[in-house]
Amino acid sequence: MPAKQRIIGIADLAASADPDEQLVAYSLGSCIGVALYDPVAKVGGLLHFMLPDSRMDRKRAETRPALFADSGVPLLLRTAACLGLEAKRARILAVGGAQVLNAPPSLRVGERNFEVLRKILDELSLSLDTAEVGGTVNRTLFLEVGSGKAGVRTPGGETKYL
Amino acid sequence: MSRREEILAKSASDRYLPPSRLELLRILRDPDASAATLTRAIECDPTLTANVLRLANSAYFGFARSVASVADAVWRLGTRNLRQLVLTTAFSPMQKQAVKGYDLPPGDMLKHSLAVAVGAEKLGRLLKVPGCDHLFTAGILHDIGKIALGTFVELDAAPILELATREGLPFVEAEQRILGIDHAELGAFLADRWNLPDEVVEIVRWHHEPEKFSGRNPAGDLVHVADALCILGGIGIGTDGLRYRPSEEVCDRLGLTETATEQALSMILLGLEDLEGAFS
Repeated sequence: MPAKQRIIGIADLAASADPDEQLVAYSLGSCIGVALYDPVAKVGGLLHFMLPDSRMDRKRAETRPALFADSGVPLLLRTAACLGLEAKRARILAVGGAQVLNAPPSLRVGERNFEVLRKILDELSLSLDTAEVGGTVNRTLFLEVGSGKAGVRTPGGETKYL
Repeated sequence: MSRREEILAKSASDRYLPPSRLELLRILRDPDASAATLTRAIECDPTLTANVLRLANSAYFGFARSVASVADAVWRLGTRNLRQLVLTTAFSPMQKQAVKGYDLPPGDMLKHSLAVAVGAEKLGRLLKVPGCDHLFTAGILHDIGKIALGTFVELDAAPILELATREGLPFVEAEQRILGIDHAELGAFLADRWNLPDEVVEIVRWHHEPEKFSGRNPAGDLVHVADALCILGGIGIGTDGLRYRPSEEVCDRLGLTETATEQALSMILLGLEDLEGAFS
């Protein structure tokens, strides 16, 4: 169990090379947690974005780039690259993008988040190694920087390693 | 005694609010109470006074000049706004605590409550749906029943979660099936007992079943959808998680679109940042 837990709240991101650190995004509903890990550099990163597209509010994207997928993902990659992560070597995981029960189309932001995330990664010639998305369950994503072990927890459920 | 009666009896104990605060709630409810009576009652409670002034001066409410005293607030904001600010802060001490039964760490219930209040106001503006004077208060208090169930009653959520998961039920329905009561009904029972305005009691009662509002209730619709947005966004959610079923009919009659959903979520986060300092 890593000694230090760093919570990545909504519209936030972090990269770390500290082997004692665990990065965590709690209560991912329609939000998506994107975790990166480069096993060679032993650098991890985590983004907790809420909305797909920053064209909705450019000014907001300037002050809170991690709010949106399209501004958050490139910033996550840049931040982790500063610590030596190479995107081509990194495992990339996505968790979240869920819905409430019987969600009407106007509330299906989780699906849109995942569509846009895949598109962005595609444009960067990157792809997801594992995704635990959709459904009607809230999830917690964690990444242990020392080992690169990542997992997901759901209420009342067991931890599942990804 | 049934489980339901036991829960009501436990929640009805008035030890959860200090007597001075119960008295203040009674005065707030009294339309004949003078500004002087109101001022005195607020000032008797120094913590509440400090919280009300902090909130009045927060970036969210953003009144042009700083509000220095309760008398100043009465004069500058009027008793109606002041009543709202008092109702907004009066329950924050209990909202700040962990809600064990729902597995909410300290601060998360307050965060969810503020987010729903902000969301209801912002949605109202975005969709051009007028709410009512008590919209923000109703948003803040919609889940007080969860505090009662999760803390006063020390509910064991495991069988409720198990039933909801097994049958794909909304969490409130599973509460009702297992306990004979749900957090909305218990919340309304408390809101009524604590002399909160009737509009607030009504919204707390039916915030998960908006088809049961007596007559059209745009403020209730706004709280219902704002709650769905905050649950969806994972803002202060616990064991019950996403297990809620928002009303498609209400989304339609408010004219909710994908874009409005996304804009409202962004505004909720911003509003929370503006309010945070006032509740720290």
